[in-house]
Amino acid sequence: MKKFMPVEELARDERFNQITQADRMSDARSAVPANAESTRRSSNRLTPARADASDAARALMHGIFVGEIQALEGAGRTCWDFTTGEEAPFGLKLDMARQAWDEARHVEISLKLGDWMGSDVGQYAENTVLFQAACSNDPVLRLAGVNRALEGLAIDVFTSMKEFGEMAGDPYLEFCEDWMLADEVTHVKMGSDWLRKVTENDPERRKKALEFQSIVDKMFSYGGSRSDSDESSLGIARRFRELAGFTSDENEHIADLGLQALEERKAQIREKQAAAKN
Amino acid sequence: MAITVTPETFSFVSFDSAYIARIANLVAEQLGLTDIDIEIAVDETSPLTRIDVEVTDSLISIRPLSGALEDTRRPRQQSELATTLAMARSMLRARDRLRGGFENAPLDTELSLPQAAAWDTYILGRITRMSIEVKKQAALYNFRNRHGFNDASDHVFEKIWNAETFTWDELSALSANTLTLSA
Repeated sequence: MKKFMPVEELARDERFNQITQADRMSDARSAVPANAESTRRSSNRLTPARADASDAARALMHGIFVGEIQALEGAGRTCWDFTTGEEAPFGLKLDMARQAWDEARHVEISLKLGDWMGSDVGQYAENTVLFQAACSNDPVLRLAGVNRALEGLAIDVFTSMKEFGEMAGDPYLEFCEDWMLADEVTHVKMGSDWLRKVTENDPERRKKALEFQSIVDKMFSYGGSRSDSDESSLGIARRFRELAGFTSDENEHIADLGLQALEERKAQIREKQAAAKN
Repeated sequence: MAITVTPETFSFVSFDSAYIARIANLVAEQLGLTDIDIEIAVDETSPLTRIDVEVTDSLISIRPLSGALEDTRRPRQQSELATTLAMARSMLRARDRLRGGFENAPLDTELSLPQAAAWDTYILGRITRMSIEVKKQAALYNFRNRHGFNDASDHVFEKIWNAETFTWDELSALSANTLTLSA
């Protein structure tokens, strides 16, 4: 079986249509006004109070579904891509195998939630950015990119969806998201613990891994869709992140990255919209 | 009947204004709206799905954000089904206001979320019977989000979905009663 599979070779049937982060960022449209004088709504938080709440929740649920598939593929690849003992400790691979099992269950749960909310498999484009973070040749960078950045994002997303279910009175959504959230906290914790352990005597490698995580965290802020600002649809679930091993400083750093990504995206949108008008 | 679509050419999305006009024309004929002008102004700077509809005796004005006409699998590309659904939803809403017993309904901006969901259910149920593909489960999910996740709410959803001739007073009373049952 091939090792280090590139993102272009992910196996999908004809129901799926994949797009890259570059495709997504080249879209000059914006849900949030780029100019202060715009009359469009200023809050983009995913709550039932939004008129388009059901549509937005459905689209996010599909994003979770494809994200779970990619997380399963990422954890599974880490078990396979590295030699046991020499490149990755057996215990780390065992944890990745356990994570793959969890993610497979999450895929099934998300599929059922998609049915419940009224969407079809492949109804929305699949952004492959999550798997791209799982393509590093260094297992420590994978832990930083997948377990800490990707699964950290999952904590933020599941917290938002759980709260949405709670506010809307949707018992299935709230229950399922709560259970998956518990797993994600465990996955982040595994990443935090292994990152510390494997780089115990190699501060340079740890520094490189944390820098990589910072890059991936910014990518996962999706042009500002996750930040403390109400203009972002997702907030930062600090409490659950702390349970997963993120320090307060790390959480603040992610919050800053989110705001930075939001401002950059707004500037980019202003530029593109001005260019389109001329 | 005259149908106009703006902008004529799109910069942010790959939409075709003539195609939108053709679809709008077909839907208007199906709904018997051939005696009134229709103006469609797409806001292509937003990917959201909201559609504003305003009606006077001589003009139906439809203002969709571009997400309402978009293929969700292929961002920025136009979807024939989404465009058809957007036109049918907007025109049925307008027809209800003009001649369907909804003359005393509040403005769209003044509708509560449950009222809007109930009216949308009534519209989508009728669109299904026009042989246009509608995801009933998605409509049910929206209705439940606004009226509660329980059997009473589901029962009212079915009643509205299958209805052909509700008035605004009947529909709004059903929505209000369902909220009371769910409380």
